[in-house]
Amino acid sequence: MASISGADVKHVVVACEAGMGSSVMLAKMLAKQLKDQNVSVTHSPVNQLAETDHDVVVCHRGLSARAKQAVPNSPVIIFDMFLGDMRIAQLVNEIQTGSEISDD
Amino acid sequence: MANFIPAGDGGHTGWRAAVQKLGGNLAGMVIPNIGAFIAWGLLTALFIPTGWLPNEELSSMVGPMIINLLPILIGYTGGRLVHGQRGAVIGAVATVGVIVGASIPMFLGAMIVGPLAAWVLKKIDGVLDPITPPGFEMLIGNFSLGIAGLLLAIVSFLGIGPVVNAFSDALGAGVKVMVDTGLLPLASILVEPAKILFLNNAINHGVLAPIGVVQAEETGKSIMFMLETNPGPGLGILLAFWLAGNSVLRGSAPGAIVIHFLGGIHEIYFPYVLLRPVLVLAAIAGGATGVATFLVTGVGLVATPSPGSIFAYLAVTPPGAHFGVLLGIALSAAVSFLVAWVILKATKSADDDLDAAKAKSKAMKTGAAE
Repeated sequence: MASISGADVKHVVVACEAGMGSSVMLAKMLAKQLKDQNVSVTHSPVNQLAETDHDVVVCHRGLSARAKQAVPNSPVIIFDMFLGDMRIAQLVNEIQTGSEISDD
Repeated sequence: MANFIPAGDGGHTGWRAAVQKLGGNLAGMVIPNIGAFIAWGLLTALFIPTGWLPNEELSSMVGPMIINLLPILIGYTGGRLVHGQRGAVIGAVATVGVIVGASIPMFLGAMIVGPLAAWVLKKIDGVLDPITPPGFEMLIGNFSLGIAGLLLAIVSFLGIGPVVNAFSDALGAGVKVMVDTGLLPLASILVEPAKILFLNNAINHGVLAPIGVVQAEETGKSIMFMLETNPGPGLGILLAFWLAGNSVLRGSAPGAIVIHFLGGIHEIYFPYVLLRPVLVLAAIAGGATGVATFLVTGVGLVATPSPGSIFAYLAVTPPGAHFGVLLGIALSAAVSFLVAWVILKATKSADDDLDAAKAKSKAMKTGAAE
């Protein structure tokens, strides 16, 4: 069970299968929402997560098993919908307010 | 990423993660090179004898690009995934062995040989690095790669190339039978559910596109590029959610439609289906309708439309095929919309509550994934 304080989050990485499609889209949207927190949001293929520099990993439930396998010690935030997902909104809120972020 | 050879990485995450991972590696070799595929696709669409601007001189680039450049890029990228820049170089070298040993575009061969060669070099480096005297790193590094590359290219040429060639021939013959007998629409029964499980890239780039490029090279078009990439079924499902879904999902559907149909990010509609798994029936019905339409009208694409956006479709549609292509997309959207609409209406009162649906799909998915 990995967790981190929202105030310490500097790098968020969004993972998808190829790291070039849906993750890029979501990373752009997250970056916009976290602009004022000075948090960088990048994207990566789920298979290469271990090589990324990150505090928090975000990925879709369908790929979450592989994300946990790739980075077992990082907090992995799992979402269901690419648009308007409650968990993503919660993550943004946790980073903005500096509250505890824990693994799903 | 060290474990392309899918043995012994200790994963206990079930078959789905394992299949996704293998598929992810296949797609990971192809997707970074899609730009080169598009250059080749546009070149083909424009300048081959049946293209928009037939030009014999310029079309002479088509063959070398598909036969040499694209497989070498795949082998290079596959090698890089396993062993960085050195892996990339030896992957490219070894890929030449399968290319020259074959008469068809060797995508499958490159996907095997590139990572394999890099893996071998990684093992060699693991032995040589600790015993290399200071000052000899470059000498030993260059010659170990060079000699291993030479040997692996020979092995690929004599051993792996012919095997993959025979396998590709058998695969192509199987597909031809399905096309000739009109059974190809049945492929949607496998393709559409696999897409929803995030195997979309694996299926398209790992399986269908390699068959497609062989056909496209021979006849200037292939229907194989259209089995997974048709944006019609997803469009129909999202439209149904927009008009008949519950209030929460209804709000996000229009944005999802734009991203899916125009932007080509199909992943965006998978969660909607996962929330109501029975909707996969709509995807299958729509997909099969599309394939049947493409088959009846005899259309194909010159290259894989990636991402699966309507714009990418139009760019790789050869002259004269627009009617069949657009008709197939429209009919598949209409059929999947109707089926999804009926399902949503029928099940609406049963579980209108999003959280209930979410919890259900969560249980279903964790059950499948762990």
